[in-house]
Amino acid sequence: MSLGVFVFPPIDELFRWKDIAFKGQFYAINKTSLLVMISSVLILAIFVGGSRRMKLVPKGFQNVLEMTYEFVDRGITRDVIGNDATRFTPFLGSLFLFILFLNFWEVIPFIQFPPTSRFAIPLFLALMVYVLYWFLGFKHQGIKYLTGHLFPAGVPLALYILVTPIELVQILLVRPFSLAVRLLANMMAGHILLTALALLTAYTLKNAPIIALGPFALNIGVTAFEILVGFLQAYIFTLLTAVYIADSLHAEH
Amino acid sequence: MHDLVIAAQQAGELKAGLQSIGAGIVYGAAAIGPGIGIGIVVGNAITAMARQPEMAGPVRTTMFLGIAFTEALALFGFVLFFLAKS
Amino acid sequence: MHLAVLLAAESVKAKNPIVPETKEIIWAVVSFVIVFGLLAWKAWPAIKKAIADREAHIRTDLERAESAKDEAESSLVEYQRQLAEARNEAGKIIEEARLAADQVRKDLIARAEADATELRGRAQDDIRLATERALADLQSRVAELSIELAEKVVERNLDHDTQIALIESYINQVGSR
Repeated sequence: MSLGVFVFPPIDELFRWKDIAFKGQFYAINKTSLLVMISSVLILAIFVGGSRRMKLVPKGFQNVLEMTYEFVDRGITRDVIGNDATRFTPFLGSLFLFILFLNFWEVIPFIQFPPTSRFAIPLFLALMVYVLYWFLGFKHQGIKYLTGHLFPAGVPLALYILVTPIELVQILLVRPFSLAVRLLANMMAGHILLTALALLTAYTLKNAPIIALGPFALNIGVTAFEILVGFLQAYIFTLLTAVYIADSLHAEH
Repeated sequence: MHDLVIAAQQAGELKAGLQSIGAGIVYGAAAIGPGIGIGIVVGNAITAMARQPEMAGPVRTTMFLGIAFTEALALFGFVLFFLAKS
Repeated sequence: MHLAVLLAAESVKAKNPIVPETKEIIWAVVSFVIVFGLLAWKAWPAIKKAIADREAHIRTDLERAESAKDEAESSLVEYQRQLAEARNEAGKIIEEARLAADQVRKDLIARAEADATELRGRAQDDIRLATERALADLQSRVAELSIELAEKVVERNLDHDTQIALIESYINQVGSR
């Protein structure tokens, strides 16, 4: 019996999927897009369907909807932007749910692939937030939004040589980039880790079944951890969006 | 002519190997600073929460923000890892 | 020649896994816009309204309970005041009754005394009258008897001793009556 060599597939193979429909077209659908669509349908079914008949005394399912709303409204919108900013809750809530549902595909059995680990999705979301906060910044503060960032008050004149370029890069590039890449990197790393542990379990199971318990237990632990990460990344993405919006609405304090 | 092809292949393999090593170093080095930084952020947040448990909520939010900003450097490393590998 | 082929192959090599793909962006945009649109149109306002409704409901309930409590407290004070008043009133009435009873007792005693006095007076009068009548009777009787006696004396013509004895026995007879 040959031991066989443990081969880890190239990373490309873990993240790139063949087209399922409209093969070769620019609007082809692959597993990533399919999961995005399924998540959207799920979100809409749960939240639009669930909120059709809201009762005065909440029961079971309605509690989930209200808790989600309160979590976003109180924990993110009001805490970060301010009590007068409830108008952003629909956007932040939708953003949060969208990312949360996409992240959770990472640990759903037989699917086990987070669409957010494809750069397309975090990038699009981050660019949308980027456009939003620039728009809000100029709408609410005018040109002072930019100058306030580039030339912060109370800094010695000579330091502007250092501060201004850093701030420029920060506000122009680092913000959207880190927003997108943080989500991407966390989900990608989680997916790679889970894949590696699953492959290792399968490999040891074939060759030395007792040792397989190790990677298997580790796999379960990491899966539980990835549920936490999925939630946390959705929360942090939304939280940072709220911080950037707050920064656009009110001048630096 | 044949020698040239082999040389080119060898050069290609060498390049790939060096790229992998470089990528590994890039990510490893990029993770050091944020690792220490996040440790400091979380540690201080825990101290703050232990001293003033009633402020745990705001402290936790601020802690996540601090982690998020510190993490950005590691994220550069993550992207550079893929750039260095290709 | 071969080198050129190799280089060409190199450049055709699969794209980096973190390079975003247009087809995925398209579907992500479409999905998110639909999700955001429908949630913002239907779900979030409904949930927000439900929470606000409940808050308003609880607030009005609390306010109503508060006012009911105030009302209860004020009516309790009112009742207590009325109760004290009633108790006062009752005490006064009892006191009045007691005074009245006293008065009645005094009246009754006075009347009884008056009656007794009157009775006694009448009894004395009766006695006196009876005595007078008895005396008058006696006088008339004595006169009668005297006449009777005189008649007998005259009839019999008695000696002195018999006469005396007769008179004495007569007087005894009268005295014993």
